[in-house]
Amino acid sequence: MMQKILQVNSVQKYYGNKGNVTKAVDNISFEVEKGEFVGIMGASGSGKTTLLNCISTIDSPTAGHIIINGTDITTMSSKKLSRFRREQLGFIFQDFNLLDTLTAYENIALALAIVKTPSNEIDIRVNQVAKELEIQNVLKKYPYEMSGGQKQRVASARAIVTRPAMILADEPTGALDSKSSRMLLESFETLNQALFATILMVTHDAFTASYCHRILFIKDGKIFNELVRSDDTRKQFFSRIIEVVTLLGGDNSNVL
Amino acid sequence: MFSNLAVKNVKKSIKDYLIYFLTMTFGVCLFYMFNSIDSQTSMMQLSTAQCNYIDALIKLIDSLSVFISVILGLLIVYANQFLIRRRKKELGIYMTLGMNKSKISMMIVFETLIIGVFALVVGLLLGVFASQGLSVLTAKMFKAALTNFYFIFSVNAFYKTLVYFGIIFLVVMAFNTISISRLKLIDLINAQRKNEDIKIRSLYLSVFIFIISVCCLGTAYYLIIKNGMFEYNLEFAGSIILGSIGTLLFFFSLSGFLLRVIQTNKKLYYKNLNMFVLRQINSKINTTFVSMSVICIMLLLTIGALSSGMSLSSVLSQDLDKKTPYDVSFIYMGQKEKSDIAEEVSKDINMDLNKYAKEYNKLTIYNQKIPFKDLNLDFSLIKNPALNKGIGETGIFKIVSESDYNNAMKMQGKPTIELKDNQYALTNAYSDLAPMYNSFLKNNSLIKLSGQEFKPLNTTVLEDSFYSNENFKNTGTFIVKDKYVKNLNISLQVLNLNLKEDIKEHEFLDKINNAYKGEERPFDVLNTRSMIYEESAGMSTTISFVAIYIGLIFLITSAAVLALQQLSEASDNVERYNLLRKLGTEEKMINHALFIQIAIYFFMPLSLAIIHSYVGISVVNNIVSVAGNINIVSNTFYTALVFLIIYGGYFFATYLGSRSMIKAKRN
Repeated sequence: MMQKILQVNSVQKYYGNKGNVTKAVDNISFEVEKGEFVGIMGASGSGKTTLLNCISTIDSPTAGHIIINGTDITTMSSKKLSRFRREQLGFIFQDFNLLDTLTAYENIALALAIVKTPSNEIDIRVNQVAKELEIQNVLKKYPYEMSGGQKQRVASARAIVTRPAMILADEPTGALDSKSSRMLLESFETLNQALFATILMVTHDAFTASYCHRILFIKDGKIFNELVRSDDTRKQFFSRIIEVVTLLGGDNSNVL
Repeated sequence: MFSNLAVKNVKKSIKDYLIYFLTMTFGVCLFYMFNSIDSQTSMMQLSTAQCNYIDALIKLIDSLSVFISVILGLLIVYANQFLIRRRKKELGIYMTLGMNKSKISMMIVFETLIIGVFALVVGLLLGVFASQGLSVLTAKMFKAALTNFYFIFSVNAFYKTLVYFGIIFLVVMAFNTISISRLKLIDLINAQRKNEDIKIRSLYLSVFIFIISVCCLGTAYYLIIKNGMFEYNLEFAGSIILGSIGTLLFFFSLSGFLLRVIQTNKKLYYKNLNMFVLRQINSKINTTFVSMSVICIMLLLTIGALSSGMSLSSVLSQDLDKKTPYDVSFIYMGQKEKSDIAEEVSKDINMDLNKYAKEYNKLTIYNQKIPFKDLNLDFSLIKNPALNKGIGETGIFKIVSESDYNNAMKMQGKPTIELKDNQYALTNAYSDLAPMYNSFLKNNSLIKLSGQEFKPLNTTVLEDSFYSNENFKNTGTFIVKDKYVKNLNISLQVLNLNLKEDIKEHEFLDKINNAYKGEERPFDVLNTRSMIYEESAGMSTTISFVAIYIGLIFLITSAAVLALQQLSEASDNVERYNLLRKLGTEEKMINHALFIQIAIYFFMPLSLAIIHSYVGISVVNNIVSVAGNINIVSNTFYTALVFLIIYGGYFFATYLGSRSMIKAKRN
């Protein structure tokens, strides 16, 4: 039996007051198992970022429970949350969010320093993850000397280096050209298959989503559909995604 | 309509305005305090000499105030620049909504005016209360009795503060309008996204420059110690130039050097957010090193002004009892011998001395040319370089007869001496010279006078003054048997007297002044003990006041500039701190990193300034101590206390302000 990393149980997130309530996330439930690569798709305003914020402990849901690696994060104190965040979660952002004052090496090492890793271990682990993501040659460079793809892979290295239970990626290819996107997504596959990293990725891009094993489609705060890749090739899976997206929006303005 | 908006804005950004408000309030308070000295002193019973000093002091502070209001004005302009930068986005929104630039600058002027008026009121209130404390200090310095306590409000100082700050405001308004008219909408809207270009210099270069800067500073210290503070020659100029260059290079390379050194210690470098903090400082140093150097030098001036000012004043009022062994001294210069000086004085001033004086005595100081360099003196024993030079090159021994000396000592209540025919005794007033003389006497050195050789009576030098004077005059005097002084040249003749208990010094002085209205006086100098006390008190008060005034203004200015820099730095870096938070960094760790960063910015310039001033003050001390010894410890203590309160206060205000700025905004 596979271990459940993430359980989302009827989570709701409401904004506004009595007279005028916006249901950004409306009773969503799903599970992610260890080693899965799950995508969440939806148009802008569908509630996918709110959901991700709730899972990533940056925001808290109005109702429902989120259980990560056996811990219910909805009942935790804010101090415990930041501890949980740095020990159990890894983040990848659309705009990389690397510290431009630090070298690539230091950006990755910072994540380890925050969890108080001994300094001799830092070096080993940074080099290991750099090898995995093929960024050894940029380790000494500063973000302004790197391409977008390199930056995002450094950011991915930073997310994975602390060996989190789950990596949360928010539109990771949003700021990349198609070639860099492809390379990044291939690195994600490597992380997922070689290091058994559990990845939860939010995107509105069908091509990016086609690298996932399973995709949840969200519309108006609710799960609209779910696609499992099973033994499809990426191309076949991509076509199925496009079908759902067409159905979802009634138009294909969000399709690559 | 926009006055409402302005009031709301002030309420909303009250934290941003905190440093601004603090600085204005301090400025107004100090300004009022020091300009109200005339009203404070008008309540005290002061002598004419003291009143003259007060007049001079007020004039000096008057002209200083112009200079100081220029400094405060520039500071406020700088602070405003920070406020505008911080609110670029907000201003951008006003502009997209169609508010024109003149309206916007009107609004900002109105906002600053609200804060300004508020600071003016609070500052004046503080100033009025603080000036009461200052008047106690003034009274103490003038040694004037403050029998009744009056609550003083100086209308003059009040108006002056209003006028000066009014002018400052006008200037600030002009500057604001200019800087707002220069803003471009596109920059305002994109202000948040602005990403500074970072140029990172080679770290090895930093280490190299750092070593050069340390060499520069070392050479500068060596030169100033060797040369002293008051000889303006090539060495002095070299020391100042090397010191400035060294300071500049020091701050230019410091962050790189620190980074390089700490990087070699992986344990320290990768501990907590150390790496982040060091990189953070290093990334900004290109724009901050000049201001850090300037602040370092300002702090140096502050420390110098505060502690040297206080020291000099205490030197002037110190040792006064030793400088004034008699109530009154009449001094006659010139060669002509006076057979009975007391009678002559009585005749001169047309009154019977015996009516006033309890006792009196005459003393003749002879001036036989025995240059110091002709004797076997070891000048290296004088630890004070300033004294060393002067004495070695130009010093000449004086001679006093045994009976004159013994009479003088009897009157001073000190032990007398008994000389043999071929013996001499040596006396001097400076403790710095004593080691040299003692070694001279221990070597049983002979002196030659009118063809006769003399041996020392004892092995230690005596410590005496022969008449009341504001400075010690006795740098070295031989005492010999009466018969040997007969044919020597007279340097000066003195009549010292102590007044009867019921005669007041100023009564006696008035008598003399009445006797010589407008006429030329027969004596060359007349010193009375209280005159010397008053003069040195007046002098020391003037010096202290000016030093403290300038020192405090410099201190607030540097602290405020640092505070504003750090606050704008924090507001620029909100995103970086947010990222750290997203990565799961503990709030405590983030705050600690912020604290260290601000502490480095505040205390690096201070540390270097302290080292600079340690060297500077010890050099000044050597010179000042020619005039007397200094209780440097207590002066340093007070300086440190003032620093702790003001500088430390700004530091904490900055830390708290920055912390609330980078705090996560909860949705």
